[in-house]
Amino acid sequence: MGRIKNNQCQKETSLTDSHSDSDQAVGTSSDDGFDEPKPITAHKRKVPFVKSEAKKKKLKHTEENVKPPTLEEIKEIRDTRNLFHSNLFKLQVKEMLEELQLKTKYSTYIESWIETFTTAVHEFKDGLLDNCQLEVPLHLHKKSFNFQFLTPTSEPKLIGAAATGTVLGPKLVVDVALEMPETCFQKDDYRNLIYDQKRALYLATVASKLKQLPAFAADQFAYNFHANNPLKPVLELTPAAKIGKHLSFRLFITAPVNIFKLSRFVPWNNNIRPSIFGDEWDESEALPSTPHYNANVLFDLTQAENQKLLQSTFTGHRNFQDGLLLLKVWLRQRQLDVGFSGFSAHIIAAYIVYLKQHRLLHQSSSSYQVARTVWNQLANSDWTQGITLCQQQPHQLSTLAGYYDVCFMDVTGYYNLCASLPLAVYKAVCAEAKLAVELLNDVKVNSFSHIFMQKSPLYMRMDNILKITNPASVDQLLQLHVKPHVKYDYANYAHPQLLKLLTDLLQKGLGQRVHAIVPLEVPSKSWTVDSKAPAIGHCLTLGFILDPEHAFEVLDKGPATNEDPDGAAEFRKFWGDKSNLRRFQDGSITEAVVWAAATDAPSQKRLIVRNIVLHLLEKHLQLDSSDVQYIASELDVVYSLTPSFKVAKLQTKLKLVQETDAEALTPHVIHCFDALARQLHSLEDLPLDIVSISGISPVFRYCEPQPLLPQARLVSDRMHAGHVLRVIIQLSPSGKWPNELGALRSLKTAFLIKIGQQLKEQQHLHSHLCKEGLLVLKQGYCFLLELAHSKELALLKQQQTERGVTTYMDNPASRELERRHYILPRVSGALHALHQSQSTFGPTVLIAKRWLATQLLDDGLWPSIATELLVAHLFQQRQTPHPTVAPQTGFIRFLQLLAHSDWGSEMFLLNFNNTWTEQQITDLEHSYRSERDSYPGLYLATAYDQQHAGRLWTTEECPSKPVLGRVTILARHALELIESSLMSPTIRFVRPAQLFMASGDGYDLVIELKPDLLPNTLCYDLGSSFLPISLRNFRLPLAGSDQLAKIVQQLRSAYSEYAAFFYNPHGGKELAIVWRPASEFAPKPFKVNELRASTPCSNGKVQVVRDTLVEDFKLLLKDFYLRISTPDQLKREQRNHNKPKRYFNDQSESYKPQKKKKKEPVTNLTGPKKRLTKSKSLSALC
Amino acid sequence: MTEIEGYRVVPLRMTPDAKNCHSVYMREHFIRLMDPNKPKGRTLFLLNVPPYVTEASLKTFFKSKGNVESVLFAEKPGRDETTNWYEGMDVPFSNVQTPFKFKVAYVVFQKSSSIGRALAIDSIDMFNSSGECLIKTGMELWHDDYVNNFILDVAKTQNQINAYMARYDKRERAALAAAKTSEADPDGWVTVGKDGRNAGFEQKESVIGRIESKLEKDKKTKELKNFYTFQIRESKMQNIVELRKKYEEDKQKIELLKKSRRFRPF
Repeated sequence: MGRIKNNQCQKETSLTDSHSDSDQAVGTSSDDGFDEPKPITAHKRKVPFVKSEAKKKKLKHTEENVKPPTLEEIKEIRDTRNLFHSNLFKLQVKEMLEELQLKTKYSTYIESWIETFTTAVHEFKDGLLDNCQLEVPLHLHKKSFNFQFLTPTSEPKLIGAAATGTVLGPKLVVDVALEMPETCFQKDDYRNLIYDQKRALYLATVASKLKQLPAFAADQFAYNFHANNPLKPVLELTPAAKIGKHLSFRLFITAPVNIFKLSRFVPWNNNIRPSIFGDEWDESEALPSTPHYNANVLFDLTQAENQKLLQSTFTGHRNFQDGLLLLKVWLRQRQLDVGFSGFSAHIIAAYIVYLKQHRLLHQSSSSYQVARTVWNQLANSDWTQGITLCQQQPHQLSTLAGYYDVCFMDVTGYYNLCASLPLAVYKAVCAEAKLAVELLNDVKVNSFSHIFMQKSPLYMRMDNILKITNPASVDQLLQLHVKPHVKYDYANYAHPQLLKLLTDLLQKGLGQRVHAIVPLEVPSKSWTVDSKAPAIGHCLTLGFILDPEHAFEVLDKGPATNEDPDGAAEFRKFWGDKSNLRRFQDGSITEAVVWAAATDAPSQKRLIVRNIVLHLLEKHLQLDSSDVQYIASELDVVYSLTPSFKVAKLQTKLKLVQETDAEALTPHVIHCFDALARQLHSLEDLPLDIVSISGISPVFRYCEPQPLLPQARLVSDRMHAGHVLRVIIQLSPSGKWPNELGALRSLKTAFLIKIGQQLKEQQHLHSHLCKEGLLVLKQGYCFLLELAHSKELALLKQQQTERGVTTYMDNPASRELERRHYILPRVSGALHALHQSQSTFGPTVLIAKRWLATQLLDDGLWPSIATELLVAHLFQQRQTPHPTVAPQTGFIRFLQLLAHSDWGSEMFLLNFNNTWTEQQITDLEHSYRSERDSYPGLYLATAYDQQHAGRLWTTEECPSKPVLGRVTILARHALELIESSLMSPTIRFVRPAQLFMASGDGYDLVIELKPDLLPNTLCYDLGSSFLPISLRNFRLPLAGSDQLAKIVQQLRSAYSEYAAFFYNPHGGKELAIVWRPASEFAPKPFKVNELRASTPCSNGKVQVVRDTLVEDFKLLLKDFYLRISTPDQLKREQRNHNKPKRYFNDQSESYKPQKKKKKEPVTNLTGPKKRLTKSKSLSALC
Repeated sequence: MTEIEGYRVVPLRMTPDAKNCHSVYMREHFIRLMDPNKPKGRTLFLLNVPPYVTEASLKTFFKSKGNVESVLFAEKPGRDETTNWYEGMDVPFSNVQTPFKFKVAYVVFQKSSSIGRALAIDSIDMFNSSGECLIKTGMELWHDDYVNNFILDVAKTQNQINAYMARYDKRERAALAAAKTSEADPDGWVTVGKDGRNAGFEQKESVIGRIESKLEKDKKTKELKNFYTFQIRESKMQNIVELRKKYEEDKQKIELLKKSRRFRPF
């Protein structure tokens, strides 16, 4: 109390003299408090305040009292709060911008380079072409014409990012433009690609001349195409110096604006005559227009003008540059700026200028405002009608817009900046911008990392992907199906022609089923200057973003035959014989196409889009399904029922088919559970009513990856079941329950006995009482009923303090009980609801769980509920504008989450029903950050966790830090495999066997278990890397007796100090063991408390001997273990063995060893250090 | 005949021909504060007992050296460790098991003379004369465990419950009766229950908390706030301090993030 008073006295005195300060500060307004365009010229004493907050803070700390606030400070704090929601966002943005700023060593290098380059260029001698010894980087059938190299008359200029001061790392690319002199051109050069050839020749000459100069001779010379455009070759110069690792230069050749009349290149003009491709053209017809080619030339001609405009906005305006940087980062993380059809950063820069022209941005807008305004405007923009930077547009925008998908005219009014931008990509960018704005407005999420930090490659947003890479089929498409005017328009570049052809067709066929069809491009690779230019774009990869509401409709209905006969005829023509005349329940008779039965399993319905696309390709483009690759649901097979189990043998009333999967079987289980719940509710003669019944097993939330068949049965009065489904029952409240734990539990058990008896009498259901509850058998499923009572929880928590006061303290037992009886049912309900709203959630979890299981991570190492919650987090969080529809894509995104999460600093919050308030979230974050070490390695919290947030679903040991690290590595590797196969034109998509089988390396010991004692999984089994597939056994175990899991639990509890144990919980037949580092086995001094498992060795020291432990393992695994060997031995055996026959194709056999080798460093569980010790430990054992 | 730091080291053999055995360290149990359950002079202390060894098996083995009163386990030597080891085992239907870990054992003999004989052994053999193991392992163990422990017999369980509840009721009645009589004990204290004529309030944290907070609230309502200038000024100041604090916290967060290099987007 006293101190505060003291402070106050001081404060009052200081308040008076601060008046003068604040008066002056009024004049210096800042829009949002950072990145003011002009430094504030305030009172001298203020300068440190404004410039560096850090200093100010220090000042405050040292004085230990409350300083009077200055107007600025208040304003700043308030502004950041209103604008950014938090200081945090602002500070993060600031830090990131600092990180992105071009370092001075680079900028000075660039300056000096330009200087040397300029002098070098001006010393070039004029000459004929013959002097050029390098290849010309262009693929055009040459027609002889005169070309002479002339010394450039104008200076080379920085363009693009370098000119606007927004070069973005990590590989800095500086664009330099060199203008060809006017005299290089003749009158007719605009026509028939002569301009492009001259440009390429000029580039080649410059390259060859540069190469001969001593200043550049050592540099790396390479050609590349600008934005995958084969008409725009550029020269890539990488300095030989060390700086070249991070910096390279790209040389563009441009032409002066006045060499041709710009009006020659209006979109309706033709500048490529059909004759150049050897085509005939009817003289009487107008020549086909070539808007895209025209834009291509205009790009060069208007370069200088546009650059001037950009520089007027960006040069010297740090705020605009930073704003552009932010937007570039945002765009790059989403990979929307790649390739010929990308939304390039150049467009963004021009759009900023456009917004400034329209006074939506002004000089003093801060970088954040720039970014935010651009997003805001983009989100609500419509460029299809055309916008322009030109003050006096020479032609009507509406006319121009008709020639392009998207129209954004440049400063001259002739060049469309978005000429090659397809509508779908533009729409995708708008949707992303909209999402960004929404994220910024949401106070409950820290949007910074979502917007800027998280990498979210374009292919991870695609539900299905179509790849046409077969050269023969590409040629066939180009020759037979592309209309000639399209060919002229794109100057015979294959990629946009294919894109147009296919998107037009597929968009028409798929209609509402897709949100967007987006091309996926890979940036072209550079090639050395002395080799020929590669042909690019001879393939197409299309991504489909599906609309979950319509994508899986089984029926495409055409117009009614009697009302619109023409439409019906066209519909029939479009769909071919797939279309039938059908009569519907509402009486209408129409043409319709049926793709699947309404009763089909969801996994089958997910293939509808695939079937439509393949049908259309075959019908209209004569492409067989083997000519193309359609990637959809490749990995879904992992949760399907194994083909070796025959459903027909099963005795059940349910209608089951052989080709079924865990997802399709789940509704049967839930159905049966609902029936049981009804029966329980209707039970009479119970002392208390049953008020709530909730299932807590994963299957009740669609998260059980192993197919659940109605197999459970009584055999000689014992219950046999593969799975036990846990159910929690709550009774109506009563005050008569005893106040002692033992008595309460006794009464609970008595209640269960009663329920069991009544079920038998009234409903004729078999039940067994067991230690954990009441086992009930119904329709081939085995349920385990447990009673929950709040008093039990209270009694567990109850403690007496010294004063005799009763308090309630959480302890591990009470927490576990609360979790199982109260929180899990609610979370289960929430996840169930999530699956109802996004039906991809369940199957995604199934694939994810299967993957973790096949990586030998069982429940004891990685809690399966953590998988569910992480996937739920993925689905709740709005990372993408459209929800993921394909489970496979969901799984890839899950891998991305595992691969790139920083477990130590990220918290995964599941705000079900938005129950948490902003304050609660900040509190959670605060306690998480300040007491990080008291929380488990993986922080998961749901809105129902109450005071246990973060500690309920995971523990320190499960998953432990090494396991988290291992999961990260495994996920990265899997992602790499997927990505490379997806983007490569030659490799097919990964087979499940590549992903869903653990590598056998890195383990010290493998204990083979007896296959006839352990039942196989009903999942589609991809085999083990250690053992050949043995005889299958689908014997049902006794209900609730998962012996292997229990043994492993024992092993872990007793021996985890010395070894780690791995097995596949889905029917694994081996136990892999990794010894802890050798230091654990070194001799150590005798200490009474540290004597576990040690034997005396010399000098009165003790030591843990591995052989003794192995004997223990054998003992504990008695009757189960077959033999112990090392992975190497097993591998040798497998090699010697005449290739064991597997049921997946033989290719995998030849493929596997390579894959394993590749994986070797990855599976090394304990890092490089422990890797070294491994060989020693092995030799010790042998 | 190895000895180390006063402990006698003997191998624990699971089978007659076992080679790689665990070493058990034995000595007479002796500490200053003796536990009545582990009486002085009659208790043998064993260190490093493997997890799978049971009380019964040790009892059987040491019977040959003298009658064994009891065998107790603990995770490590020390007070209350044995109680911790067996915690929760006395509550029926509670599903608690003793930890499966390396442990220490206390073998209490009936006669102190047995100790000497026990310390003279060459090995602890977990098998009987015909070579059969004293500890159930493997399928036998799991099956037994399932049939006898996991699945409960309804009639037997019902009887058990009835017996337990009868005892519980008796206890409760006795406690109730004691509360009702409310007679002063020799020191003059009266036990007050929640029932009866002059019942006190329940000694629960929540109840006490409620009463205390009510008292505090009463006090507060009488106070004037936002009345004097200095109070207003103070609250304003508080506001600023909070704003600054938040700013400071955010900066700290940033520092943390900076350390983990979270600002490089690529």
